[in-house]
Amino acid sequence: MIEERVRVWDLPTRLFHWSLVLLVPALWATHEWHRLDLHILLGETMLGLILFRLIWGLIGSSTARFSGFVRGPGAVLRYLRAPRTAFGHNPIGALSVVAMLLVLAIQVGLGLFASDEDALDVGPLSHNISYDSARTLAERHETFFYILLGLIALHVAAILYYRFAKREDLVTPMVTGRREPTLPGEAMAPAPAWRFWVAAALAIAITLAIANFL
Amino acid sequence: MKHLVLAVAALTAIVSTAAAQNRPAAADTIRMRQANYKQMGGAMHAITEQLRSDSPSIDAIRASSRTIVGHAANVLRWFPRGTGAEAAVPTRARPEIWSDHAGFTRAGAGLLVAARTLDAAARRGDFVAIRAAVPGVSRACSTCHDSYRAPQH
Repeated sequence: MIEERVRVWDLPTRLFHWSLVLLVPALWATHEWHRLDLHILLGETMLGLILFRLIWGLIGSSTARFSGFVRGPGAVLRYLRAPRTAFGHNPIGALSVVAMLLVLAIQVGLGLFASDEDALDVGPLSHNISYDSARTLAERHETFFYILLGLIALHVAAILYYRFAKREDLVTPMVTGRREPTLPGEAMAPAPAWRFWVAAALAIAITLAIANFL
Repeated sequence: MKHLVLAVAALTAIVSTAAAQNRPAAADTIRMRQANYKQMGGAMHAITEQLRSDSPSIDAIRASSRTIVGHAANVLRWFPRGTGAEAAVPTRARPEIWSDHAGFTRAGAGLLVAARTLDAAARRGDFVAIRAAVPGVSRACSTCHDSYRAPQH
């Protein structure tokens, strides 16, 4: 029997995910090419995306909400002992989402205050701290990238593990937004479109305020 | 013969001492200019800090513009031959500083013009002119760095 695929990830969550896949390499490349002007612009875009995802985690569709997937250590341990396919994020996947958002937020936060040695290409908040502190944070920003890189490697390794060891395709649902339900009747409870516009408007407003007025 | 050996030995000693003294001199020059550029970076930071503040301090801007114009008047003297990649201290000074000396001199002169414009505006306390002059200094810094300073990695 072929079960009908049902919605699991809403469009904003998928767009957010694939934007990261494009943005992180673009951020790396603009730094390598010494195009810090573009790097800062893309970094501010990243800030907006993270803010959006945090808001979407509060008011988005059921599978995007933190309250729907973030579990305590007990649930994580139970899952580790007896893994069973989860419809949305499983407890370990939830940890990975939180870790990824946290590491990205820290990396963007460091970049906001960073300054190059000439104080010409500067994060939008670097004028609030001393030149020496801004230089230190720029160095932290460079080294912290390796933490992000490690986390991305872990993320890709986990996807490959699910694909080949557990025969579970995680990539297609992240593209199409659909998968077979694990239990009959299970599906995502979608958020109405107006909530998306509220989250997007809020994220853009906060980003512009940080980039221009603080 | 004995005198000749002594003379050669004495000459060798003098030449090698001079060479040994020359090496620390190049290192000192490099360290000095790096410290000065760092001060200019700090001064640019301080100016941005004031311009983005709700109550910018003209005194802080003046102190910074004075630092920048003071160093800008000297930059072309910070690069004697022997203070490039061949020096014992790591430096990002590119060989084009010496092979394209005319271009380097032009870039240095450009910085001085931009820095004087900014400093004059700061001394007048003219915030509109200060805001207009800062990008000129940034451009002058970048123009020179793009051609004559190696990237960090």
